[in-house]
Amino acid sequence: MMKKRRKNILDRGAYAGIATISLFGLLILMLLFSYIIDKGANLLSWDLITGDYYAATYDSYYEGELNQDGYSANREFESDVFYSEKWGIALKDDINFEGKDYVLVVYVSDESPLANLRDKNDEKNYVAISGGQSMVKIIFSNNTVMYSKNGAKAAIELFDNADGIKDMITTTAGSGIRGSLVTTGYLIFFTMIIAMPLGVFTAIYLHEFAPKDKWYINVLRRSVELLTGVPSIIFGLLGAAVFIPLTSTLTKASGGNIISGSLTLAVIVLPVIISSVEESLKVIPDDYRQASFALGANKTQTTFKIILRCSLPGILTATLLSVGRIIGESAALIYAIGTVIKDNIVVTEKSTSLAVFIWSIMAGEVPNFELACAVSLIILIVVLILNMTVKLISYKLTFDRNRG
Amino acid sequence: MVCRTIDKKKNSRDKLTHILLLVPSVISASFVFFIIIFVAKRGVAPFLVSSYGSESVNLLRFLTGTTWYVPPTAYGIFFIVVNTIYVVALAAIIAVVISVTTALFIAKMTNRIIGGFLKTVIELLAAIPSIIYGVFGLGVITKFVIGLADVFGSQTAGGISTLSTILVLAIMIYPTVTLMSITAINAVDTNLEKGSLALGASRIQTYFKVTLLTAKSGIFSGVILGIGRALGEATAVSMVAGNAGSGPSFDLFSTTRTLTSTMLLGLKETSGVDYDIRFSVGIVLVFVILFGNLLLNHFKKRIGKYS
Repeated sequence: MMKKRRKNILDRGAYAGIATISLFGLLILMLLFSYIIDKGANLLSWDLITGDYYAATYDSYYEGELNQDGYSANREFESDVFYSEKWGIALKDDINFEGKDYVLVVYVSDESPLANLRDKNDEKNYVAISGGQSMVKIIFSNNTVMYSKNGAKAAIELFDNADGIKDMITTTAGSGIRGSLVTTGYLIFFTMIIAMPLGVFTAIYLHEFAPKDKWYINVLRRSVELLTGVPSIIFGLLGAAVFIPLTSTLTKASGGNIISGSLTLAVIVLPVIISSVEESLKVIPDDYRQASFALGANKTQTTFKIILRCSLPGILTATLLSVGRIIGESAALIYAIGTVIKDNIVVTEKSTSLAVFIWSIMAGEVPNFELACAVSLIILIVVLILNMTVKLISYKLTFDRNRG
Repeated sequence: MVCRTIDKKKNSRDKLTHILLLVPSVISASFVFFIIIFVAKRGVAPFLVSSYGSESVNLLRFLTGTTWYVPPTAYGIFFIVVNTIYVVALAAIIAVVISVTTALFIAKMTNRIIGGFLKTVIELLAAIPSIIYGVFGLGVITKFVIGLADVFGSQTAGGISTLSTILVLAIMIYPTVTLMSITAINAVDTNLEKGSLALGASRIQTYFKVTLLTAKSGIFSGVILGIGRALGEATAVSMVAGNAGSGPSFDLFSTTRTLTSTMLLGLKETSGVDYDIRFSVGIVLVFVILFGNLLLNHFKKRIGKYS
């Protein structure tokens, strides 16, 4: 009796210990999410997604008349925003990614002269000040000077006292990810165009056409399986040693480019595609094939009209998994394309996918955690949705199969 | 007769399809040979006088060196291999302990809802890309390591250290090992467990002495897979390793350098010895992975024998 009770207590202690350790995964996931959301969620905005990475600086002036009644704002502002009725501009103190104070333009009225300034460097050009830009320095026509370090309140007072602008230096926000988003899109598109036919046809060949028990089929299969175990950085070396020279001779590219990156990614996702399509071919009942043969169709017709259609869920799964892999891949692309962030994307030039974008901004002297977390959040959401969809598809397939 | 010709026609069309499908299959299979041939070619080049002349690297010095780079062209990789194995081994030990316990809990000790939930969480962890683990490592784990270093009275370079690398790697291979272990534990014959319970063993005793013992071969497969992943993991490791110039160093709080971080960090030009030597490091990495796999598979067979 005594012994049994002691055993029981020991068992319960062990159970509690094991249960606690099992929460490790949940703890890590929660820590990761809370860190990335905490740091990055504030930055997530339409401006981030559509903006350029490199900030542009404008030098402009205004000598025209001002509207006598001023320019009224069509919206309410918070208490830390200062508005100049005379110029129709709202400013606010803010801190940028490097932790420095700067004066942020919150809003500019549509009729305001500031939305229609002359470019100092090129008289024909117009410069439009808009929300999201920042004020660096302004020399007004009454020779008062606004510096960003003096803050938004002082700047608005100067605006209210001035009737013209001699010289105004502003910068756009920068740190946008539009270029990297476009690159990621290109990479997905080209990679899938290259890898999908290759993978699907290989899977069909291996499962439907290949003669069994032939040594060369075994070699084929083994060679494809070997790719699964190769680390992604080695694929990067393949890209650098084979695909960059190849694309350089075939196109006008010099050095890494989106095509060489796509070719490398195609090799990476190939085993994923082949194995998931082959899995879906395995579960197609042989009756389908025999029924098709009995109706007089030959093997080619059976394969492309019956089997291919039945393996669509497998092809869909392969696509989703591949897209997830492409979005998350970094090490291989660092070799196969490079780490140069671009705003205007040309297929035969260097640029970064979202994952390599994070690498580039983290590898510098001052890692930009906020921006990295914001981009990480985007990648995380997309990748997790893709994986959940795959899980749902496979769940539904097993459910259907069990039922029918 | 008519039937015969149709049959022949049908057959020839199938043969054409067969050949047309063989082409993409051969292409798919050829990539692995492309990797072997071209990476090897590029990686051997730095050691050849014929391609780099007086700038060529001494192979013996490369394989035994304890300093990565001594100008002008002396490279050493021995300490990097040692560091890599050290880091991966410790990461694997941490991951295995947590993974096997978690797998046991999910497979045997809880109900379907909690088990399913935890399994989904682990599958999500498996899907997170390496770069995000890198950001997490640099933002959270290095902070944790700084705190730990304070407790032990050590100094770290902003938390960038061997320990951070180990922890990041352990977190990254944890889902792989756990998911494989769950499969292995689920495959254990329940009659064995029932027999053990009938003989008077408690549930915990049964799980550890019967279930895990029976499933050890499958669990070991997961560990091998995890170690393979850890050896090849590049981005996240590079972000927290710190690329120490020489070594080997076994101090948990000092910076380290792994094979993959050597390949990824300090990449500037895309030609010359300093670029091509990274291909040589890549070859060494492949050999370490292959050799590690062979060794562990040998162990696995021996373990399997006595069960």
